[in-house]
Amino acid sequence: MRKTLAWIMGAGSFLGLASSTLANGWNMPAGVTDVSREIYSLHMTIFWICVVIGIVVFGVMFYSLFRYRRSRGAKSANFHENTSVEVVWTAVPLLILVGMALPATATLKRMYDASEADLDVMVTGQQWRWHYEYLGENVSFTSSLSTPRSQINGEEEKGENYLLDVDQPLVLPVGRKVRFLMTSDDVIHSWWVPDLAVKQDSIPGFVNENWVRIEEPGIYRGQCAELCGKDHAFMPVVVRALEGDEFDSWLAERRKEAEAEASGVDREWSMDELMERGEQVYGAICATCHQPDGSGAEPTFPALAGNEALLNDRDRHIDVVLNGVSGTPMAAFRSNLNPVELAAVITYERNAWGNESGDVVQPSEIQALLEQ
Amino acid sequence: MWEVIKSVLAAFFGVQKERQRQHDFQHGKPGAFIAVGIVMAAVLVMLVAAVAIMAAR
Repeated sequence: MRKTLAWIMGAGSFLGLASSTLANGWNMPAGVTDVSREIYSLHMTIFWICVVIGIVVFGVMFYSLFRYRRSRGAKSANFHENTSVEVVWTAVPLLILVGMALPATATLKRMYDASEADLDVMVTGQQWRWHYEYLGENVSFTSSLSTPRSQINGEEEKGENYLLDVDQPLVLPVGRKVRFLMTSDDVIHSWWVPDLAVKQDSIPGFVNENWVRIEEPGIYRGQCAELCGKDHAFMPVVVRALEGDEFDSWLAERRKEAEAEASGVDREWSMDELMERGEQVYGAICATCHQPDGSGAEPTFPALAGNEALLNDRDRHIDVVLNGVSGTPMAAFRSNLNPVELAAVITYERNAWGNESGDVVQPSEIQALLEQ
Repeated sequence: MWEVIKSVLAAFFGVQKERQRQHDFQHGKPGAFIAVGIVMAAVLVMLVAAVAIMAAR
């Protein structure tokens, strides 16, 4: 009687510990899509199967160790083989594994079926930010970390979404099938949002597919899940899911902005306009390596403030920003930024932090270079 | 022949009776087991492929 009670208490406290661990947010999230909930329930089913197997196997083992110990006169059995026992311990795990594989395979099949999507989004990993392009909509933008440097450097208290905030989140509609086409410009990244149950490698030279149908509006956060260099921890993913009509008006708004930006290429920009725009672009794109004050991090990331070579050679400066420098971490930005952004950031670099070249680089000049 | 097939199946499963094992090693020809083993492995592969193709429909 007492023994049975001890067994029940032991098993009970184990289960209690397991459930409290799950309730305390250590477990994976159930997420906000059909597929993510399916994955979650698979995960839990398999978890409890493992718990039961663990209790049975270790229970039998510890019971046998204790009950048949030598000090109580137990004698070891001396037989070589028992075919029926062997058949049982081979067949039972086989059935358990097949039982787990059937629903898991069904879910995998659904996860891989990216056909008949309502919206295609090209996701491009770049060191160290994400670029999103709404295919066929003429809308694309780069999404960079927006956690302030002061929090990263420990000069300020860390916010709630420390390292999980971006300047421009990926906006997606609720209730529509969105297909992701994932690729990379440089090294292997991985686009991961736990609540959407999407974790897909983005690989240079390949296009991987994945899809999602979000059911609840909200903000969903994730990170790059493939070690990709110095700022791997500083390229979060933020998805903002909107109701269908809200999304449509957001997309229309962005399309209008893109058209306005395109027409901005032809007009003459003033120094102040370019400096203001350039500061934004610099902060979002360049500051991670060259530092917000242009001081760089020698020897890998040259200082831009007071850089004689940069100040004396305007053409070379433009060339470096457009085409990168091979053999160094300096990437080519000709396809990541539009002509206005490129002109603005180059103008900014030539006139900020005591750089007083007085040079103005016009978007039309960059446009001409890009078309060559 | 049936004996050989039964032994190969037992090998696939991973469990064999000691008596049958003794018998195979005294009376069987190695070539027969190898040939049947290769054929049955091919059958297994085709079986798995068939299941996979059916599941993928």
